Amino acid sequence: MAQAAHRAFTDGEAGDRAAAARAEAAILHDLRPVRPLAPDSLYTLILVLLCAAAAVDAASVLGMAGLRALSPAQCVLVFSALLAGACVAAVACTRAMRPASGKNLGPLAWILAPSLLAAVVALAFEGYGTGGLVNEGVPCLKAGLCLALPTGLAISLLLRRGFILNRSAAGLAAGALAGVAGVAMLELHCPNLKAIHVMVWHVGVVIASGGIGFFLGLASRSRLVAR
Amino acid sequence: MRIPPDAVIDSAESLESLMARYQQADEGAASALVGRVTPLLRRYFLLQASNRTHADDLLQDTWMRLHRARHTYRPYEPLLPWVLAIARYASLDNYRKASRRESHERQVDVLPDPPNPVTGPADSPDIDTLLSALPQRQREVIVMLKISGMSIDEVARATSSSPGSVKQKAHRAYQKLREILSAKESTK
Repeated sequence: MAQAAHRAFTDGEAGDRAAAARAEAAILHDLRPVRPLAPDSLYTLILVLLCAAAAVDAASVLGMAGLRALSPAQCVLVFSALLAGACVAAVACTRAMRPASGKNLGPLAWILAPSLLAAVVALAFEGYGTGGLVNEGVPCLKAGLCLALPTGLAISLLLRRGFILNRSAAGLAAGALAGVAGVAMLELHCPNLKAIHVMVWHVGVVIASGGIGFFLGLASRSRLVAR
Repeated sequence: MRIPPDAVIDSAESLESLMARYQQADEGAASALVGRVTPLLRRYFLLQASNRTHADDLLQDTWMRLHRARHTYRPYEPLLPWVLAIARYASLDNYRKASRRESHERQVDVLPDPPNPVTGPADSPDIDTLLSALPQRQREVIVMLKISGMSIDEVARATSSSPGSVKQKAHRAYQKLREILSAKESTK
């Protein structure tokens, strides 16, 4: 098939040489040494630590009433799940930085992850009464997003160190990771341990933040294509 | 500091080694790399673009992206998946730009002749027609496997998918190509 394809293109080697000469001229005009990106594991670690630092920093300002209300078992369960979620999102972010670095997380993974988080919440907490659900919940969603948005911005600045091919996937990963920071902050700060409240309004921060990141990535891709 | 072009380049030097030296601003390695990778990229784009000019534009765009992204290549890892991942997105972005442009274009009664159409000898198999019958994702897998000579794992990396998914797309593409060729044979 390769030979047939080559025969089909009549300008053959002459065309290849001309094309190579044009590319070479443009590249050599701007040739400087570059430092290869640090290993993916380092970026993953930095992103997880960034996420954790943002959550602890914000919670220390707002107060740690949530942490005081949690039992040791609930602490272990919830923060282990959040750490796992942060690691998965951080790996997705570092893969987005480098072309051909690995398989993208598919849509199923992005649906399963918050579902698993909700399942952990169902295991750790009780209380499914919907009285006061919206009044109590909206301030949590706002607070979580107020942390997630600047955290997402910081994450995206780090991701720009790489070369992002799929902006919507990168936006989704960055948004989800920032959302995990928001959830972690809420778990430290919010003393409302009703399962329904945590599932809808705390886990909802990850979904909302991931969605915002996805659409921002899509918008930036559309702007790039429109140029 | 740029390394001058008279630095020794071994013609048998691997693409990965050339790329590592290109990252260090070795002009000779950069030139050699461009010379060796361009034919492969050009064939990749000629099989996807509507004409040669368009394919050459895509090629130039891709080399600019490869140049800007060169710091993301991990030294001594397989180079072709990295190159083709970037080429693939250059092609996708161009397709999206063209779609946007077409949505603003108006219809005319007489179409102009396309510039520099890709033609081949009359008796050559019409590769372009065969491959254009395939869905985009199957076509790019076949081009990478059979024309660029990449392995299943390398194609999986270039397309950010799994080896299983690549095999499935290739299998479906081969089935489709067999159906088309059988139909051509039966009409002769």
